[in-house]
Parts: sequence; C-alpha cells; structure tokens
Amino acid sequence: MFPLLLAAVYTHQFTRVILLPGFPAVDSFLDFVLPASLVQSVSFGATEAGTELARDIENGFFDRLRASPCMRLPLLLGRLGGAVVVAAVKGVLIIAIFLLFGAEIAGGPAAAVVLVVAAVLLVIAIGGLGQMLAIFTGSQEAVNATFPLVFTSIFMSSAFFPTNLMSGWFREVAEANPVTWIIDPVRRLILEGWSWADVGQALVVPLVISVATVTMAVVALNRKLSSS
Amino acid sequence: MSAVTVDHSTDLRFAGMVASAICGRGMRRIVARPTLIMPVLLMPLIFVVSFTGAFGSLTRVEGYGTDNVFNWMAVYAAMQGAVFAGVGGASTTAEDIENGFFDRLLLTPGSRVPILVGTMAYSALRSTIPTTGVLLVSALGGLRLPGGPLALVTVYVATAGMASAFCLLGLAVVYRFRTMRSMILIQVCGFSLMFLSTGQVPIHFMNGWLHTVARVNPVTNVLRFARQGFLGDLTWSMTWPGLVALGAMVAVAGSLAAHQLRRLAA
Repeated sequence: MFPLLLAAVYTHQFTRVILLPGFPAVDSFLDFVLPASLVQSVSFGATEAGTELARDIENGFFDRLRASPCMRLPLLLGRLGGAVVVAAVKGVLIIAIFLLFGAEIAGGPAAAVVLVVAAVLLVIAIGGLGQMLAIFTGSQEAVNATFPLVFTSIFMSSAFFPTNLMSGWFREVAEANPVTWIIDPVRRLILEGWSWADVGQALVVPLVISVATVTMAVVALNRKLSSS
Repeated sequence: MSAVTVDHSTDLRFAGMVASAICGRGMRRIVARPTLIMPVLLMPLIFVVSFTGAFGSLTRVEGYGTDNVFNWMAVYAAMQGAVFAGVGGASTTAEDIENGFFDRLLLTPGSRVPILVGTMAYSALRSTIPTTGVLLVSALGGLRLPGGPLALVTVYVATAGMASAFCLLGLAVVYRFRTMRSMILIQVCGFSLMFLSTGQVPIHFMNGWLHTVARVNPVTNVLRFARQGFLGDLTWSMTWPGLVALGAMVAVAGSLAAHQLRRLAA
C-alpha cells in the first residue's frame, strides 16, 4: 500500500514539477512514477526473508536447522522463494492499479512482463542482502534497518526525479546507482515503447546483483558454520 | 515472621527510579550494541542528502518558500529520524517481550506507567542523535538560520515529541501483538503521516484530496512549528498549533499504550 500511497501523493504534489524544463514529456506524474512504485513495492517485502532468518537465529531455531542433515543452501533459498512469489503477485497488482488510474505503458503487455521479471530479480538481490545481514548480526532490528536503507537507495536514484534535473555529486551518485540502471530502461519501456536494448539492461542488471548478494549470503553462512 | 508491605503505587520516587532505569538500560544497550543506533543515525542523514539532492530543483518552482532546499528538507529528515527513534524504542520492548525480559519487568511492584515513561524518555533521548546529525550535515550543505538559535530549539522539541508519540504508538502495537514484526505497522504509519504532510512541498503546491489531508494532518502543524525558524522569524501563531498537535499525539498514543499494557499485564 505504501508505494501506492507515495505515488498518489507525488502525483498530487508534483503537478507543477512536471512543467520544469528538462522533465520528460508526460501527461501525468503517474506515468513517470510507475517503475519507482513497482520497485518500492517489491523491495519492501524483500527484507522479510532476512528478518525471518534473524528471528530464527535469535530464538535458536536456526541452530536446530543447521544440526539437521541437509544442505545449507536451501535454508537461504527457501525463504527467498517465498519472497519471489509475493513479489510477482505484487508486481502484477501494482501495474493493474496504475493502469486502472490512467497510466499507460507504451511498450505494451510484453513490457509489463519485463517490469515484473525485473522486480522479481531485484527482490532476490535485496533478500540476499538481508540474509547476509541476518547472518552477520543475528538481530531482527538490524535487518529491519534494511527497510529504510532500501527505501533511501531508491530515492538516491532516478526513481522519483530525472537525473538531468539533479546537480553536483548527488547527480553522479544517482547516475552510478544500480537502481537507476534498472529504473531508466524500465521507464523508457513505459514512456517511449519497446526496445530490446532496454529490455536487456532492465533484466541483466538485477540478475547480476542477485547472483552477487546471494553468493555473499552463502559465503557468510558457511563462515558462520565453520567458526561455530 | 511478619511480612512488611510497602505501597509503591504512590511512591513517585520509586516510579521515577523505574522509569530512569528503563531509560538508562536503553541507552546502555545502544552503547553495547552500536549497530542498533547506526540506522537511526544514518537513515535521516541519507534522507536529508537524498531529498535535497533528488528534489533540489523544487526551489526553482515559483512559491516554494525558500531558495535553499536544505532549509526545507532538514526539518523533514530530522522528523523522519525521530519517527525511527520512536519505533526503535518500541522495538526494544518487542525484543524484551520475545526474550522474556518483559515478563520479569512486569513483576515490578506498583504502577505500570513508569515502564511507558521510561521507554518514551529513552526514545526522546535517542531522537537527539539523528536530529543533531541531520542539522550538522545540513549545516555543511548550507543550512541557514534566519530565525536564530531558537530555530534549533523548536526542532529538538518537535523531534523529541514525535519520537515520544511514535514510541507510545509502537508500544501499543507491541503490547497487542507481542512481536518485532508488528513494528512494520508503525513504520508504515509514520512514513504515511509524514508523506501526507507538508514534508517536501508547501501546502499550496498540493491539489485534490492531498491538500485536504495535509491540512488536517497533525504532522503538518508540527512541521510548521519546527520549520518556522528556518524560513523566517519565529511566531506564536506558528508555535502553538504545533505544540498542541504534539501534545495530542502523545496523549492519544499514550492512552492506547497504557490500555494495551494493562491488558498484557492482566
């Protein structure tokens, strides 16, 4: 609900902003903010995988799990699998609600599918990060802190404002932020239409990050197991 | 052997000791586990940087109210930090409930109010950390104080009040659901209230339902009170509505928390 609320708020508070020279040509801020809302929506739930793991570590359940004769990787991937399903459902719902309120996707239904897949890959990336933090700290509160961290990394990107209207070092950070690398091609699919280059960028970037964070979580788990 | 009974319920000194012990325990917990305070400190700093960086062009829109985006966003980021500080205070209680410490705390004789007051005071104290951080970073970014040093006082009062209110609200939820996960409800509630206010743009920038909601949102009055010294001189007409809003939020959240605590202890 929160990303939808934010989109509704921004659509009503930034009506004067879309008239600024340099802002992409849009009928409403709603079209511009769709990828941001999608990314936000799925990202919030993504931290759950880490929070649940931290709770299991806190209450000792994880110790019993590790004592069981099973592979370690499924302990992490099982929780991520749940987050992926939830993210896919959320993605479809968010797009449907935006379309209902008048948003348009120039790239058509295929672009909508790319949006959902990119969002799911991003969830895996963030979930892996949360799990790594859970393994390192063993604290739910510390893992919960990834919620605002993810939130802010979205703000330090092109999610809510085009980077060409930013200035100084912040603009450089936003342009170097992987969230921007995901949001920008997705936004072009929505505002301008289908492009294979944009599809490739929208999917490859979150895929690479997912592989990296899940690998780091597995390494952290192995280190924890070997040190105890 | 005769039992000696002491009526602690009327002993204000004892209540004060309990409250300060709870507050002190929270602060010691921060020292012992610095990772817990890092998000509370870092997040508002990232907020002020990201809001000023992302929305810096807002000052180019006519009627924004200031030509320095830090003067608008610093207070907003500090208030967000205060909400975190409040939720963090309540999270401490959630952890205590989950690990069984809270059951022992309930064995304390006398009124339960000091438990609430102590946790609230801990949150209010905790809020000074992000507020100070945000003001320092904003000063580096070019924050000005047209209202003089009193502008700083209003920010600290507002953030301590917001932290108290959200701590109490968080406690009401924690006492009801008894889990750390329930804190997400308060985080979302806090974010929503902040975003449905004049946090990022003046009220005359808004249209439709948002304008109406922001006008009745108590956070708008708190922001007006806290931000006045960053936009101009301090005035009583901007001050009292903010103080009333803070008082009302603390009173309502406190009543809810007290009610849920009574249920939990029963």
